[in-house]
Amino acid sequence: MKEIDQFLKENKPMVKDNPTFILETRRRLESVEGIKTEVDRQRRSGRLALIYALVFGLALGVFATALAFLYPVDPESLGAGLWESIRLFLHTWRQYLLFPVAILAVTLGIVLMSGSRQSA
Amino acid sequence: MTQERFISLVQPQQEPLRRFLLALCSGNAALADDIAQDTLVRAYVASGSFLGLSKFSTWLFRIAYNCYVDNCRKVRPEQVPVTEALTIKADETSDASFRYQQLYQALDKLPQKEKAAIALFYFEDRSIKEISAILDMPQGTVKYQLSMGRTHLKQYIQL
Repeated sequence: MKEIDQFLKENKPMVKDNPTFILETRRRLESVEGIKTEVDRQRRSGRLALIYALVFGLALGVFATALAFLYPVDPESLGAGLWESIRLFLHTWRQYLLFPVAILAVTLGIVLMSGSRQSA
Repeated sequence: MTQERFISLVQPQQEPLRRFLLALCSGNAALADDIAQDTLVRAYVASGSFLGLSKFSTWLFRIAYNCYVDNCRKVRPEQVPVTEALTIKADETSDASFRYQQLYQALDKLPQKEKAAIALFYFEDRSIKEISAILDMPQGTVKYQLSMGRTHLKQYIQL
């Protein structure tokens, strides 16, 4: 076994000089940076779109809840049409309206908190 | 980790890393350099997860070994190109060329883990503990792999 030990110690593989190796590494790392920047940009814009959607949904939910509770409708006196249908729908389901609004508010809170934790 | 900091850490490891992969790739320098580049990109991407619990070089070599294993899974390793084994500097003797050719051909016949253990122990002068961390195996298994590797090499190399 000593001969093998000796042989291996005396014959370490020789690496040919490659002056472009680190340059190539730098080039690849630049590409990685570019990809990371693009992914971050897309993630940020996706998060922003989500926040806008949640805020819009929350505002709409608050408006609908306010409408249902502050301006109760008489189902008998309502005519046909889209607006009337919407008011009738809100009137029928008004006791459940706060539920989706609360979910939206909680989701928005979570998204905002997770975002601030990531940026910290 | 910034790119400059990463490069400064990698620069001194470049040659040992390429030599380790050259041994694993049985003398195929182009393939070894390709895997080395992949290793560095992977290491850079994962550099945030390097907690400093081990030496940077140990962590880098571990990634290199995993890259090599992944590469072996993707494509069947090429046979040792004799011309590659002979690409010794002009001032080297033909005797040295023959020894390298013998070495690479013998390494090519070894199983991955034996080859890696031999390369790290003899060519990179790593301790059993470091090899154990790089190859993710117990120290006893590293010793066994080294012993088996030596036994196999003795059969393949004419001394």
